[in-house]
Amino acid sequence: MSAFWAALRFQLQLMRSNPDYLLDIATAPVYTVIFLSIVKHADRPDLIAHAVLAPALITLWWQSLMASGEVIDTDRYYGVLEPLLATPSSLHSIVLGRIAGVTLLSLVAFAESWLTARVLFGITVQISHPGWFAIALIATTAAMAGTSTIMAGLFVRTRTARTFQNSLSYPFFVLGGVMVPVALLPDWAETLSRVVFLSWSADLLRDSLAAAPVENPIGRVMIVLTLGIVGAALGKKLIDELLERVRGLGTLSQV
Amino acid sequence: MEVSDSHPPLAVEVHDLVRVFESAKRFRKPASQTTALDGITLSIPLGEVHGLLGPNGAGKTTLVKILSTVLLPTSGTAEVLGINVASEAREVRPLIGLVFGGERGLYPRITGRQNLRYWAALYRMPKVDAKRRTDVLLERVGLAERADDRVETYSRGMKQRLHLARGLIGDPKVLFLDEPTTGMDPLAALDFRALVRELNREGRTILLTTHDMAEAESVCERVTLIDRGRVIATESPRTLARWISRFERVDVQGADHQILSEIELLPGVSKVLRDGSGTARIETSSDDATAEVMKRLVESGVTSVRTSLPSLEEVYVRLIGDRGLVL
Repeated sequence: MSAFWAALRFQLQLMRSNPDYLLDIATAPVYTVIFLSIVKHADRPDLIAHAVLAPALITLWWQSLMASGEVIDTDRYYGVLEPLLATPSSLHSIVLGRIAGVTLLSLVAFAESWLTARVLFGITVQISHPGWFAIALIATTAAMAGTSTIMAGLFVRTRTARTFQNSLSYPFFVLGGVMVPVALLPDWAETLSRVVFLSWSADLLRDSLAAAPVENPIGRVMIVLTLGIVGAALGKKLIDELLERVRGLGTLSQV
Repeated sequence: MEVSDSHPPLAVEVHDLVRVFESAKRFRKPASQTTALDGITLSIPLGEVHGLLGPNGAGKTTLVKILSTVLLPTSGTAEVLGINVASEAREVRPLIGLVFGGERGLYPRITGRQNLRYWAALYRMPKVDAKRRTDVLLERVGLAERADDRVETYSRGMKQRLHLARGLIGDPKVLFLDEPTTGMDPLAALDFRALVRELNREGRTILLTTHDMAEAESVCERVTLIDRGRVIATESPRTLARWISRFERVDVQGADHQILSEIELLPGVSKVLRDGSGTARIETSSDDATAEVMKRLVESGVTSVRTSLPSLEEVYVRLIGDRGLVL
């Protein structure tokens, strides 16, 4: 079994035995209630899809961000990091697999949002293009895991990872267009958001809900995947550099 | 690995290894350097159980970390099975197993079996093999019955045995055991040592760091004494003991003051310790002094005499000094 799949499976086992991991997933219905209430009050039924999709994307990003900051940190805390590095597997593959496990489980948030809309608001959000929706979701999950390894490489360099995690969430919710489409952002922000895979993902997922045909779906999926791969490559570079540095400094157990 | 006729194949070869740790400069406090290894040279042949004995801070763990590729040396070379641990770490890793002492080093919230399966996968073991090897190892370390309990419910000894199983999961040729019996009760430590001997019989090379003399004496074929990052000696426990056989002790009962005073003046007698009740310990400092002491005692009519060889602990204390007891 490759390190990636082993780490993914292992992360799912860890989360099953440690329900703390699942707490953030429970926030998706709360956000759904907030966003749907606003949309309903403003009498904007055209924004219902945004209001249901946004909480799921927020949960997905938030969970990945948390995992990226904590995977290496908890391994260090358990004293596992050094024996882990003495194995033939690369730390990047392990981190990628474990974040993918978290991201995969976070997909439950989509079901939660849909269910909240249905049960509490009596709204059924139709998925007009289920095939593209599923493909976009898979691409988003992969890109999320890849991009999160950048965060893992950055967070382990600081002792205040939690602060960075909290601070990084909100700019990305804006730049990722999770609630407000990036097309509505100021020009400079829209340009910036185009290098954030989440903006492409959010637009594609919203478009796959709408009745109108999805424009250039293959190209957009490829962009999401490419940005995810670039993120994973950058994450690998950061983690490899970090490991060489701490092997030299002898501060591995303090990472 | 190519093996020449003239040199025995080596599992570990370390030459002039230096490791210096630098602390960062802080406000009003200049950067400082600590030398953990100061030119260590060491060779361990294939299939040997080698003990690394020294007090805390001697450099034992630093050496193990370098050999297990998690730390880079400042200078010098270190090879495991002929492969450089600094520049070819990836090639070394599938061949080694690493076990640290203490309770850390495992995932406490999942079961022992899940822990081992994960580590097996990290050694790129196919799923079927991983399952089989996990079962075999759990049985071998006596954890089969508790394999599906969470590690956090294990006793310290059980965690240590799971550590060993984890270190063996990749079927390593060279096993590094860093203070593996720390915190174990004496019975568990005995079992552990039996297991180490068993692993050695399978042909594995084992480098065991310890500050437990009995442990080194019971399982190691050779022992390297290190202190302050330097090798003091590398020998078999028996040879090390012979080295100071000239420091042999003669315990005597019923010897009078006069004969003890005469013996004290003999060449090769370093010390006579009297306890005031007719019992004394005579310490010698040369190879032939004991015979002369015995002769004088017998001639004076003393019949209760006993000589003894030093234990490895005494070798250790003699060579390292009192610092050896400050663990």
